[in-house]
Amino acid sequence: MECIAGALDDAGIALSEVDGLCVAASDWAEGGGVSSLTEFAEYAGITPTFFDSTDVGGCSYIVHAGHAAAAITAGLADVVVISYAACPRWWPLDTPSFDPFVLPAGPGQFELPYGPTLISTYAMFAQRHMGLYGTTSEQLAKVAVTFRQHAANNPHARFTAPITIDDVLASTPIASPLRKLDCCVVTDGGGAIVMTSAERAKDCRRRPVHLSGYGSAAARTQLSQIAHDLSTPATISGPRAFAMAGIGHDDIDVAQIYDAFTITPMLALEDLGFCGRGESGGFVDDGHLTLGGRLPTNTDGGGLSSNHPGKRGIFTLIEGVRQLRGEGPGLQVPDAEVALVHGLGGTFCAAATAILTV
Amino acid sequence: MTKGMSPVTDVTSDPFWEGVRAGRLMIQRCPVTGKHQWYPRAHSIHAVGASPEWVEASGHGTIFSFTTIQRGMSAFETPYTCVLVMLEEGVLVLSRLEAEPGADIRVGMPVEVFFGTVAGTPDLPLFRIREERP
Repeated sequence: MECIAGALDDAGIALSEVDGLCVAASDWAEGGGVSSLTEFAEYAGITPTFFDSTDVGGCSYIVHAGHAAAAITAGLADVVVISYAACPRWWPLDTPSFDPFVLPAGPGQFELPYGPTLISTYAMFAQRHMGLYGTTSEQLAKVAVTFRQHAANNPHARFTAPITIDDVLASTPIASPLRKLDCCVVTDGGGAIVMTSAERAKDCRRRPVHLSGYGSAAARTQLSQIAHDLSTPATISGPRAFAMAGIGHDDIDVAQIYDAFTITPMLALEDLGFCGRGESGGFVDDGHLTLGGRLPTNTDGGGLSSNHPGKRGIFTLIEGVRQLRGEGPGLQVPDAEVALVHGLGGTFCAAATAILTV
Repeated sequence: MTKGMSPVTDVTSDPFWEGVRAGRLMIQRCPVTGKHQWYPRAHSIHAVGASPEWVEASGHGTIFSFTTIQRGMSAFETPYTCVLVMLEEGVLVLSRLEAEPGADIRVGMPVEVFFGTVAGTPDLPLFRIREERP
């Protein structure tokens, strides 16, 4: 509620105006489960007429932004709040495994008995990428090092002290080739976004940021179903977002790309077309993810350094907005006017891409 | 004491598990296109409407990817290596790779199936490096 109140105050919109609500809170530390939407409405004291609890993992809130825009355009709602919060550090009950697949039944009966952890599923992508394209652990580490640099000035970031490639390589092995510093932080946290029509936004407290493009795709769950070339649903969500916005890659000033693990944004860079298939290691190595590069990315420090309560999508939207307002708390890209926000859900199971403009 | 996760089987998967008990790796094939599919479904993903047929796989494949898990779920003793195998029939399957500690494992290596348990489960298909025969 603190997040919703803060976002509404920022917009200059009263809670009583809110008639749309989007939440995705099916995971344990989010506390909601299947009734999350009605519980949330009850807790906030609102009765939304448009609501969406689409939950495809971390990118769900980017999906909500797309759905909210469609709902507002269709007249289903005037003011939609998208909200997220989770407390994995505080959570007082026995913590279930992070594994995304709950039961060894249905398709899961052929995978869960072997004990694939969530991290190990990303590790499979990383190992294959290294085997196919010669990507190195040092290149993976460069992603973590770069985003830590961006977190240095962010007072809200979990970790701000600089790290080196050697630090990453020397950190605890978790699931080869991924080490502890290849993995996102675990933090409590939350965030909220207020969406309304461009017309209504004219009277808001702050200069609005526009959702100019959006695309999504949902593809699979089981590891056995991954694309043989490691492409992910981002190959579908990305082009749709670019086409809707009517812009090209060179128009993007800043990007927020979900970084659950170091391999995560690397595959996204390829799928979204910022580099060729298999070339993300070199792209990262060449310093393109920071100021002076082609695509300054995760300017708040991302999930690897700033925060990651479980589903980070809301924070990619929030940092995208902050960049376009010139208020990035970590690294601010000067005069940023177009931001790309991209997230995945599960282990590259779903994807959502948004283009934000001012 | 570790406790594994035994598969919850069903009518669609029964022929597969019967095969495992007989030491055979069964997968499905589309009767229309001749393409294989994994995991078992009641329909062909290559020709929806067609019922897939069960065929025995060769049990040979190559390592598509792998990961040695050092920190994992409490149900499993670490370290262990999960593997994605590209079967000769062109489908990916997840399994365990049984290999000596410190073994040189690389993407693309040939592997072969065998059957065994994981932390108390019934027999499952497992894989090991296949020695190249002269």
